[in-house]
Amino acid sequence: MRIGITKFPGTNNELDIKRVLGSLGVKNELIYPDDVKKMDEMDALILAGGFSYGDYLRPGIIAVQTPIIENLQDYSNSERFVIGICNGFQMLCETSLLPGVLSTNTSTKFISKWVHIKTGITSSPLLKGMENRILKIPIAHFEGRYYDKDEEITKLANKNQIAFKYCRKDGDISLKENPNGSVVNIAGIVNRKGNVLGMMPHPERASFQYLGSEDGRIIFENLIGELKC
Amino acid sequence: MLVVYSGKAKDVTLLEDNKVRITFRDSISAFDGVKIEDLKEKGKINCRTSTILFELLNRYGFATHYLSNLNETEMICRKVEIRPVEIVCRNVTAGSFCKRYGVDKGIEFETPIIEFFLKDDVLHDPLVAKEIAIQLGWVTKEESALMESTTRAVNQVLSVIFERISLKLVDFKLEFGRTDGGELLIADEISADTMRLWEKETGEIKDKDRYRKDLGGVIEHYKDILQRLEEIESHPEIPIKSTAEITIELKKSVLDPAGEVTLRSLQRKGYQGVEEVRIGKSAKISFSLTPSPNLQEIIKEISDSILSNPLIENYTFDFSSGE
Repeated sequence: MRIGITKFPGTNNELDIKRVLGSLGVKNELIYPDDVKKMDEMDALILAGGFSYGDYLRPGIIAVQTPIIENLQDYSNSERFVIGICNGFQMLCETSLLPGVLSTNTSTKFISKWVHIKTGITSSPLLKGMENRILKIPIAHFEGRYYDKDEEITKLANKNQIAFKYCRKDGDISLKENPNGSVVNIAGIVNRKGNVLGMMPHPERASFQYLGSEDGRIIFENLIGELKC
Repeated sequence: MLVVYSGKAKDVTLLEDNKVRITFRDSISAFDGVKIEDLKEKGKINCRTSTILFELLNRYGFATHYLSNLNETEMICRKVEIRPVEIVCRNVTAGSFCKRYGVDKGIEFETPIIEFFLKDDVLHDPLVAKEIAIQLGWVTKEESALMESTTRAVNQVLSVIFERISLKLVDFKLEFGRTDGGELLIADEISADTMRLWEKETGEIKDKDRYRKDLGGVIEHYKDILQRLEEIESHPEIPIKSTAEITIELKKSVLDPAGEVTLRSLQRKGYQGVEEVRIGKSAKISFSLTPSPNLQEIIKEISDSILSNPLIENYTFDFSSGE
């Protein structure tokens, strides 16, 4: 079993993800923008966050023009798992593998802090056993405000595609605990099939007790559990 | 077969497959048809001149209605609906321009001038402002941008070509037509009837002004232009450039935090009456390509798929051509 982690100029989270996967005993490889062949050999793919191509034009949009992301539609159609974290989530929205867009935080500030998110009820194997679970997890982004038209948000909710919402420590979901202005506090979503997950918070930065939380580790454990099946 | 249009110097016959046959007659007219007569061989000369110039424009990547030459006086073209506005490009002052503004003939413009005229003999083809033509629906904004940029690029090409045969391209007019599919093409004819050409060394008039001003020798001079065009053996590299300027704005319904912050700052500074600030982006893309409907489509595709996110942003673009 091998998991690929994408590396674009300007991304900076791939080594954190590598460390988590390594600690779980899973082989993993960095996948560079032209490495379509290697990408296709991977059993799952994680799009690491950061600032691909300097976030020029719009976060993720330049990365989306590269061979590996152009190949992502076919890759995900083959039922393999794809997780996009932060800048990776922005890429997934720009490719239309996930609906919506991540726009500038309402505060117009770059936000880097610990938040709490509540797991939704989805059919995604990546979130198995996590229903309603509250995770303590950091965010670090400038464009993290999830936006889509009202009718699309309703569809997401009806189809059980809302993976995470920002919440209070006790799990209460209120606008007050919404750090960036996301529509209905959305912090992450999954596609209809449940094999593509996009999220703004960083589970790889909450995967060891010494980092202050290991709540994010379960997402990687779930992924590996699925691949072993 | 059906003659769909009979003009002052040409007939247009409808053929199958959205094609037309254009027949050049020997008649010549001026002053909106007030002065009119037949000049032997004129149809033949203008058909040949138009054929050469359209083939030249096609070779340089322009979208024109010309398909092929049929015989001495006829050519086969794509069927188009002629737009009611024609474009004049001027390198040097002459003709109606001098009369309208009371200026001398022969003043060279630093940047060629583009003018829009309404095609209407009864009104004597009046000059129209682009904004009027757009608002009255004679052309769309997109068409006007393409017409203007295409005309500038045609000027660039024709000026070089005529320079090669020692002629000065003073001004010319282009007509445009729209195909059933909505493609905007250079149409009508391009000949000594539709442009002013002066002998480079002496300034001698070689074009239709000879007829308008009763200078005589119309056919001889038309023939001379044609002969020189026929003698051109190779075609020079002409660096045609097209530029698109795309402005991207957040949709009205989408919150613009940067705009809000700027608004508050302006209000705090005490600027009166500042109501709203929206911050957008703009991109300027230069192409080493001839302006064409196809290029306009490519720019739209780039704007839709990369430069803007249609979910939250709108864009507008302007299109131009220049050296």
